[in-house]
Amino acid sequence: MVMLLITSLFRWWYSDGFSERLQITSVRLESMIDYFSFSLLLKTLFSPYRQISAGNVDGSLEVKMRASLDRLFSRVIGAVIRLIIMTVGAFVAGVLVLYSVVGIIVWGLLPFLPIVGVAAMMMGWTPGWIE
Amino acid sequence: MDRIVAFNPKSVRTAKSRLGVMLSRPIILLLNVIAIGLLFSGLGLLVLSNMPVGWLLIGLCAIPIMISEWHRGELKSPKSIEGTVDGLLAGDILGSLDKNPTPKDIAVAAVKAQGGIFFANRFGITRGFLDNITTDQPTDSEAIWQSALVVRKESGSEFISGAVLVVAIIDSFSDRDSLLAHMKLDRTDLLSGIGWYEHVRMLINKSKRPLRTGGIARDFAFGYIPLLKRFGQNLSENVGRGTQIELEAHQKALDQLIDSFGGGGSQNAALIGAAGVGKTTIVQAFAQRLMDAEAKVPSSLKFRQVFMLDSASLISAAPGRGELEKLILQVLGEAQRAKNIIICLDNAQMFFEEDIGSVDLSNVLLPILESDSLRIILTMDEQRFLQIGQRNAALINALNRINIAPASHEETLVVMQDQLLYVEFKRHVTVMYQALAEAYRLSERYIHDLEMPGRAFKLLESAAGFAENGFVTGNSVQQAIEQTVGVKIGVAKGEEERDTLLNLEDLIHERMINQTRAVQVVSDALRRARAGVRNENRPIGTFLFLGPTGVGKTELSKALGEVYFGGEDRMIRLDMNEYVRSEDVARLIADGADDPNSLTARAMKQPFSVVLLDEIEKAHPQVLTTLLQLLDEGILRDIKNREVSFRDSIVIATSNAGADRIREYIQRGYKMKDFEKQFTDELISSNQFKPEFLNRFDEIVIFRPLNKPELLQVVDLILAGINKQMALQKISINVADDAKEFLVEKGYDPRLGARPMRRVVQRAVENLVAKQMLGGEVQPGTVIDITIEQVKSILNDGEDVS
Repeated sequence: MVMLLITSLFRWWYSDGFSERLQITSVRLESMIDYFSFSLLLKTLFSPYRQISAGNVDGSLEVKMRASLDRLFSRVIGAVIRLIIMTVGAFVAGVLVLYSVVGIIVWGLLPFLPIVGVAAMMMGWTPGWIE
Repeated sequence: MDRIVAFNPKSVRTAKSRLGVMLSRPIILLLNVIAIGLLFSGLGLLVLSNMPVGWLLIGLCAIPIMISEWHRGELKSPKSIEGTVDGLLAGDILGSLDKNPTPKDIAVAAVKAQGGIFFANRFGITRGFLDNITTDQPTDSEAIWQSALVVRKESGSEFISGAVLVVAIIDSFSDRDSLLAHMKLDRTDLLSGIGWYEHVRMLINKSKRPLRTGGIARDFAFGYIPLLKRFGQNLSENVGRGTQIELEAHQKALDQLIDSFGGGGSQNAALIGAAGVGKTTIVQAFAQRLMDAEAKVPSSLKFRQVFMLDSASLISAAPGRGELEKLILQVLGEAQRAKNIIICLDNAQMFFEEDIGSVDLSNVLLPILESDSLRIILTMDEQRFLQIGQRNAALINALNRINIAPASHEETLVVMQDQLLYVEFKRHVTVMYQALAEAYRLSERYIHDLEMPGRAFKLLESAAGFAENGFVTGNSVQQAIEQTVGVKIGVAKGEEERDTLLNLEDLIHERMINQTRAVQVVSDALRRARAGVRNENRPIGTFLFLGPTGVGKTELSKALGEVYFGGEDRMIRLDMNEYVRSEDVARLIADGADDPNSLTARAMKQPFSVVLLDEIEKAHPQVLTTLLQLLDEGILRDIKNREVSFRDSIVIATSNAGADRIREYIQRGYKMKDFEKQFTDELISSNQFKPEFLNRFDEIVIFRPLNKPELLQVVDLILAGINKQMALQKISINVADDAKEFLVEKGYDPRLGARPMRRVVQRAVENLVAKQMLGGEVQPGTVIDITIEQVKSILNDGEDVS
């Protein structure tokens, strides 16, 4: 029965356990993408920031020109803010992806760690820089 | 039919479950500590001591980590395997069962599991209860497993959980139905309990996965809204933070709401339904749906925010004439410019009032609604919606109407199951299933100002104040309704009440003479009601008392009110000679706000009472027709079409119709039972009452005129009353027998019966006592003897003066 249980542990580790790990990673990435609103930022990259100076303006040509310039300025400000956030988001996303990939690799290798540990001990190797 | 499959204690799933149970929380904690210890010890040995054995320790730390992860991911709840009992049993139960479990072992495992604990708390089905209905014979277990497979299938559960197993154990008990009846339950309730348990599990799992709500840049493309933040409540703000709203009823209405705004038509919706149906909850669920990144909503609605305008703060900020309209325009203008706002006017009728000092925003809102420049939701009561429609048809035509019907019985139960979590958290109580069922039943009968599910939930909230040892039971709900409405629910339990009921006739006869049949029929009706053996869909009793004036018809109603209903003021008395026109029907069923003395308003306030319809023969036929449903089903609809219950009332109608005929029959030596039937026929043939009206009464009782010995007893009763008053001054009176006979002679009038008697006795005795007291002839502790001469002198003096 013990052997049966050990076999079950390894079977779970590389089947349901592994897919669960992938799912957790995927949810984490989705949450991060939602947090930085990537798709929204892309869709509205050049929209006036907070609707400042948005909307039609009635008046003389000068007033209309000024409103148009204001709107342009609002759009530029919006685009800059959005680009900054997207850049920060992309960096965080990169770190998270790296962390997730490492996590998945560690999951895959963890069952071998005791064997590696025994082998390393028998080899008697220790990190050279410690000396 | 499921194949009979024995429990296999040696399966791999069983072994996994046992390991899962063995790895309790402290052991898992210990494993994690060991893993960290090994890792850091290994690193320490490598780094500090340069010892290769450190590698071994680092390698070994993988083992406790893997076991801990395995426990979390699989052992705690192994996947179900169809076809076998051990493949379907929930892990926590399977892991705690021995090789050859007896029914008692199964019961113990079930009550320790989550589902079993749920049933113990919510239904009162505890370990002791199951212990009493299970045996020690392992051979009896097969029946339970077989039953569990059936229950699991019926309830649609994934596993044979503790909840399923509890029901299966009860199912396999031979006298199941009477066992459940003791707990005021039936099998459907138990299945519904499994559904409740699964629903709670689903909510917990759902709450573990937070909503994705658009992120930090969600509102960058939309305008600032300082005014809206000041005068409105952002329903979208808290979405994803706290508990999510589950819309158990009205899912269709929510879809309709989304369709209204998602399509190209008018960008508004009016949710029309009575108070308590859940209009505001629909708006909250709508706000939540729009904020859920994963929800299927049109892109034009995604992440739009719903603001509920706060009428009180708006009105207080703009007290001057015309200021409010200006402020509302500013707020709506801001919402329009922001481009991501949906405005909700909750109880919108408040914004369309016409009275002095109230607000009518029709002119402000109509252009906005017609131009579709801003998305608006209005919630409103049906009646008010129609009233506004009469005044301003254009406004109503501009709105997309969505009707919200009251929730069904099943929906209401689920809504209560969701909502009671807040009540339990706030009040530190546990609500039992019986309380939910009772809240639905009693609120349907006694709460009229709200609709389902709000009506049942309101009662459940009140019942939390009557919790017994932390549990809100069916009894708590009954107490809540008894305290708030003043009715008596269920079967009489108190010693005092039972004594009153058993001696009702004697108690009534302490204040009225004879008319034994009438006293008996009302007493019997009341006893039936309080023993729980009456028809619950009718009044406690409906009686027509016929007879001459002054024979005790009204007195019996008063006596009943005092003896059983808690005072003469518990009587709803209507003099039907005030309802002689057909228009008077409106007064009979008027809304309490307009006429608090209407029959329906008083019955709403005081459903447990004696309803006395005095001189019923004088009422207009239309009024009598209106009363037919009351007499038949115990229901009368008021002017607002609300159902008012008279099912906890005794309805007594009195009439003098045919009084002369009764006297005639008696004088001719007939006994009452001999002429009752003939007399009733005469009433119908003489068109005094219609047969369908008379047939509605449980009993028609004829009161006969009182004879001399009875009138002497009436005098005794009146004198006893006077002595009671005098007791305060420590004085009592004793009237000679011949004086009493003289009082009867003077006080009896063949037309008015015993009615003048009280006046005559009071005049004779009280005047005499008053004179003696003022003359200083009487001291505290004195017994005043009154002779016939004294009475004659007083009464004759009075006659001389008059």
